[in-house]
Amino acid sequence: MFLAFAILTLAGALSVLWQRNLILAGMSLVLSFLGLAGLFVLLANPVAAALQLIVYSGAIVVLVLFVIMLLNTHQEEPAERERPIQRWLGLASAALLGVGAVGAVLASPAVEGLKAAPASAMTLQGLGAALFRDHLLGFEVAGLLLLAAMVAAVLLVKKEV
Amino acid sequence: MDAAAFLQGSLQAYLSVALLLFVTGLGIVLARRSLLVQFMGIELMLNAANLALLAAARWRGGDPQASVLYLFIIAVAACEAAVGLALVVALFRHRATTDADRADLLKQ
Repeated sequence: MFLAFAILTLAGALSVLWQRNLILAGMSLVLSFLGLAGLFVLLANPVAAALQLIVYSGAIVVLVLFVIMLLNTHQEEPAERERPIQRWLGLASAALLGVGAVGAVLASPAVEGLKAAPASAMTLQGLGAALFRDHLLGFEVAGLLLLAAMVAAVLLVKKEV
Repeated sequence: MDAAAFLQGSLQAYLSVALLLFVTGLGIVLARRSLLVQFMGIELMLNAANLALLAAARWRGGDPQASVLYLFIIAVAACEAAVGLALVVALFRHRATTDADRADLLKQ
């Protein structure tokens, strides 16, 4: 199961990288988020998986697709100036970073030494208790931040400010 | 390294998937020109960090603090999505483009 969800996640991400059509890239993003939600279930955290599906696949990707259709930019615009060296250099350095970081994780005896503690699945009750007992102020600040972001978004797209 | 445990999903496997997801997002931001696709790459990088966080929490016995942090990250990501897309729409109004290479001047 882990392998299936991991491959789904990475295949969706790679498809975003190669996809020319922006709508299809957004759909690949949904695929990647679905795989991530599956990985969260395997991590005994169904609450996070549900949040992932609702907020990312449900809200954020729909927002991106809405903007793509609103601006009618289904295809990437033809390049003003082709910069093949910079593009391949960027991809190569990203790949180098990936190889180095994965190698470091696989070679680390500290990570390998960690044993999975016997954990029960995360419940909504446990999350709610931790949230409202220890992080009430943070919760209120997050609400204020969402309000500020909403006002900023409305202000930014208004016709004339 | 235990290959069978890796394929079943050890901590190393989860961290490797998170890192590969992160560099894929980084590659998208570096190689693609459309601001909207670059935005998708940023979301992928953010989700890679979430995956690493929740995997580490699982190997610490299912700490609920990590889920609270995940909740806050999602709230901030939603704010970032709203403001970022509003910026893209505002740029499109001014320049009629969503190409990052064409939006390289601060003044009109």
